[in-house]
Parts: sequence; structure tokens; C-alpha cells
Amino acid sequence: MAVVTLDKLSKQYGPTGPVVVDKVDLHIGDGEFMVLLGPSGCGKSTTLRMIAGLEEISSGKLSIGDRVVNQVPAKDRDIAMVFQSYALYPHMSVADNLAFGLRRRNFAAAEIERRVQDAANILGLTPLLTRKPSALSGGQRQRVALGRAMVREPMVFLFDEPLSNLDAALRVNTRSEIIKQHKRLGSTMIYVTHDQVEAMTMGTRICVMNAGRVAQIGAPLDVYWEPADTFVARFLGSPPMNLATAVVASANESSVARSQSLETALTRWSPQLLGKLVDQKVTIGVRAEDLHINKAALGSEPAGHVRGRTIAVEPLGAETLLLVEIEPDVEWTARLPRHVPVAIDETVDLYFPVNAVFVFDATTGRAVIGEKRRDIGQ
Amino acid sequence: MAAMLAERAPLPRFFSRGALALVLGLYTIYTLGPFLWLATMSVRTTAEISADHYAWPKVFHWEQFRIAWVDSDFATYFWNSTIVVVGAVAVVTLLGAAAAHALARYRFRGNRLVYGILFSSIIFPPQITLISLYQILVDYNLYNSLLGLTLVYVSLQLPLTIYLLEGFFARIPQDLFDAAKIDGYGDLEIFRRIVLPIGMPAIATTLILNFIQLWNEFLFAVVLITDPDKRTLPVGIRAFMGDHFQDIGMIATGVMISVIPVIIVYVFFSEKLIRGMTAGAIK
Repeated sequence: MAVVTLDKLSKQYGPTGPVVVDKVDLHIGDGEFMVLLGPSGCGKSTTLRMIAGLEEISSGKLSIGDRVVNQVPAKDRDIAMVFQSYALYPHMSVADNLAFGLRRRNFAAAEIERRVQDAANILGLTPLLTRKPSALSGGQRQRVALGRAMVREPMVFLFDEPLSNLDAALRVNTRSEIIKQHKRLGSTMIYVTHDQVEAMTMGTRICVMNAGRVAQIGAPLDVYWEPADTFVARFLGSPPMNLATAVVASANESSVARSQSLETALTRWSPQLLGKLVDQKVTIGVRAEDLHINKAALGSEPAGHVRGRTIAVEPLGAETLLLVEIEPDVEWTARLPRHVPVAIDETVDLYFPVNAVFVFDATTGRAVIGEKRRDIGQ
Repeated sequence: MAAMLAERAPLPRFFSRGALALVLGLYTIYTLGPFLWLATMSVRTTAEISADHYAWPKVFHWEQFRIAWVDSDFATYFWNSTIVVVGAVAVVTLLGAAAAHALARYRFRGNRLVYGILFSSIIFPPQITLISLYQILVDYNLYNSLLGLTLVYVSLQLPLTIYLLEGFFARIPQDLFDAAKIDGYGDLEIFRRIVLPIGMPAIATTLILNFIQLWNEFLFAVVLITDPDKRTLPVGIRAFMGDHFQDIGMIATGVMISVIPVIIVYVFFSEKLIRGMTAGAIK
């Protein structure tokens, strides 16, 4: 039973200092892989360090299992942590690094030996056991760090951006290694990252944080397809979701949002919901992959459109990014197929299915929730 | 660019290597010369030395060492020096490392103030404390005692030791401490199992510096010790310099005796000393 519950958990440095974590509520189920995602400085690492017991909790309640652990020191919380810097003890061999935590806990020598050997086997570290960390590559070091957490067989694993120091190829490798270990061990894991790809591919659920608060919690695709606000909408997705201000107008049965450069029907929202927004400003969002330069690509699907001036064409090989200025200082990015028949500084029309439109409150940024998109198959 | 450098490298490299060897050679002669001269004098009698200062010893008077050691109380001086210096260095190293760790790792009120005071005490020449230290030792009945001198030595070397070690310890990544904490270790154990081993190069550096400094220390020893039985080596050697007669041969022998432990300590710790000086030891 390793349920981790954060109840209005807050961190403030000094009585008048900045609040870096602000009343975070989070319930992490047994065996869940929870990803804390957010830009640097959003409080995700501090939250993790509070769970680890490395940072004092200013207010709120933290429970691991059935026990409130606010006052329990790190060593007694039955957790293990993997650090971004690996944090291997440089003066000890790999085997000693793995065994260090077990020795302190007075395990029998044979048991320590067995666990170290097991972890080394699983992670392919057996030939490296006698080496010092300085004689290992980055990927090997991170595997040792992972092994050091595994041998402890803790209730909860904590990861603090463990892949940030690895190069791209190793990152993919180690990522799948961690996923594999999560499947094998079935332990609760809490994983901090600023990398949305890691969050999307690893998390059972992700918790997006912004400025010390929880912006949204949900399964990766749910968060992607139903972002709670413009921050989440832009943080998840690369390139980020395109946003523009428009005014809602009622046109016969269905409502329409319009600006100088943009027009779209709003079909996913009930007339009652939109009734309140008529003649109000809203923020319209469209993901880059939903923009098309060729209206025919949408078939019979009802389409909205946006007009702008091309400012850059970025061919990436498999696809081409087209940057369009639709209003002064408002740039949209379209993710298009390889060949894009436009020149720079040309006026283009981009089309998108009305089903793919998001609406956000223009002042708070909160999403106006409508029906689910029909095309995402959920 | 690289190819061009490779083509042009041999000649300048030959010269730069040659120049370096020349400089090092000259410097070695410059430093080793007086030492060799002293070594030759240590096995000659004062009469022989007076006759010809620089001559190679015709007869090696090894008995000079026995005379110095047995007849001239050098055994006592040596023993006194050993007690005082080893004691002081041990205390300075342990206390200094612990204090440096605390200053480098723990956030507490007054941390930087303590550090600032320690640092400022390095700036002043230690001689300015001589008179007040003398009075304090007299007041506490520590004047003319080896314990008193040891305490003075500890206080003399502690600030610089803390300063050097703090700089090194502060660069040990915080993650290591966090990892050890999660691995179940308390503050003292982290100090013993993480800080001391990782900081060993820096600790060895301060250990050698302190040992050499204190082994050769004369001023405080000559002021704070009057009893001939409690003289340390530098003071003991000084005793051979009378007002009218100087036993140069015996002085040279005494100096040679006093140099030996320094060489032993240096040989023993020098590898770590070099690693400490080249730093970057963490990673």
C-alpha cells in the first residue's frame, strides 16, 4: 500500500518569503506513475523534495501509505530517489554505491549481495560493479542511480529530472528502462520533468504545475486534448497551441467566433453555454497539427479559417513548420506535410476543422468546456 | 587549423620543453643547493667547516647525529616537537574539517558572520597576538607548557584550515548529501562517510601545510617556552647559537634531524596534496 496524498501542501521560504508551492492537492494511487510537469521554477522539484523529506513542509499534510509523514525524516519514509546529477558517491565502487543504503539498514551481508547482484543483472551493471563512478558514462551512471533506488525496494520511487543530463539517444533508452522497471516492480513512482515528451510517454497521469499551483491533473492524452487553461494548452504540445483573441457572435443556430483574421463556428459548445459569451472576447486555440493549407484535406468537415502573412518556412524533413503572422505580434504555427507551396511574406489562408477548436476565457485563461472532440476516438 | 598546428608544433615544442627544463633545473639547483650544503655540513665538525666552508667532507662524522640526539638533548626536542605538532595538526584537521563542513553545508543564522571573522583573522599577522596570548597563557597556567603551545598552534592554524576546506567542501554537490540522507545516514555519519573521504585531497593539503608550518614554527615557541626540557626543535637548534661561539656543525646536524619528518609527511601525503591542488577531484 503506497498511496501518496498531498493535502494542501505548501512551501514558503521564511515567513515573508516567496511561496514556491501553493496548496497542492494530489492523490497518487498505489502503483501509479505520476509525472509532475512544468517549466523551471514552477515548484515541481520543491514538491518532490518535500515528499522526499529533503525540504520542510510549510503547511499542509503529506501522507505516504496510511501514515502522515510531515515530521518523519527522509530516511524513515521508505522512499528512494534518483537525482538529475546521479549523485553517486564518487569514492565508492558501483557495488558499494548500490549497497550503501542497505548497509545502513542492517541487512544481512548475503541479502545485500543478492539484491546488488539482482539489480546489476537487471540493469546490465554486472561488469561494472568494481568500477568507480568516474569511470562510467552518463548512461551507466544513471543506471547505477536507478539501481541504488531499486535495491532498497522502497514503497515509493522519486525521480528528479533523471534524464536531463543524458543525450537524446540515451534519454530514449533510459526512459524505456524506467517504464520497464515500473511495470516489473509495480511500485508507486513520482517523476519530475519539464519535458512534455517524457510526461506523455511515461505517466499514468500527469500533474501540470504552474507558478507553484496545480494547473491540471489527468491522463496524458486527456490533458493534451482537454487542457484546463491556456497555460496547459501551450505547455503540452510542440509547437505550442496557437491562440488568438476573437469575439463570439451568434449566427442562427450555432455560434461563431470572429476576429479580423479568423473565423470559426463553435460546434462543441451548447447554445446555452455560449449565450453568456455572445459579444464577449474569448481566446480561440487551435493546435499546429490541425491547421491545413489545403481546404480539400478536410473533406466535408466544416472548417474554420485564419488568414495571415507568412514569416518563416521551416522544413524539418518529415514535416514543415509554417509560421504565419495573423495579427501584429500574434504568430501561429502550422505543422504541414513536407512540401509547402508558399513563399515568405505572402498572404495565406489556413483551415482547421471546427471540431478542433478550443475556447478559453479571455481574462482567466480557463477552458470553456464543451463536448469532447469527435476525432480523438475516446 | 589543427593540421597546421600539428605541422608547426615540433620546433616550438622542443624549445618550450627545453626552456621549461632549464627553468626547472635552475630552480632545483637554487633550492637544492643550500640543502645539500647543509647536508654536507651536518657530517663535518665545526672546526672543519671553519677551515673551508664549502669543502666535501673528508671524513663522514656520522657520530655528529648521535651526539646531537643523545648528548645535546635533540631526542627531547624532537619528542616535544612531535607531541605539540602532531597534537595540534590532529586537532586542527578534525576541528577544521568539521567546522568547514558546517559552514559549507548548513544554513544557520550567523554562518557568514563566523566565516567572515575567521577569514579576517587570516589577514592579520599572527605576531600581533603574541603579547596577549602570552598573558592569557600565564593567567591559565599554560605558560611554559606543551599543552599551552599546542593550543596556541591550534588557534594559529585553524582559520586558514577552515577557509581552505570550506572552499573545497562547498563544491561537493548537495545531491550527494540528499542521497545519503535518503539512504538513511545521519549528519555525523555523512560527515565521516561522505565529506571526509571526498575531501581527502583537500584535507591532506591542509595537513601538510599545517605540519610544515608548525614543525618550523619558532617565534611562538621561543616566547611561550622557557624550560629547556620543553623546547621544540627550532628552539633547540637555536640553543647552539651562543653569543660568542656558534656550533655550526651541530646546528646543521640538528636541522637535518628536524627536516626528516617533514620529508616523511610530504612523501606520504604528496600524491593527495597534488590532487587537492589540482582540485576538480569531485565528479
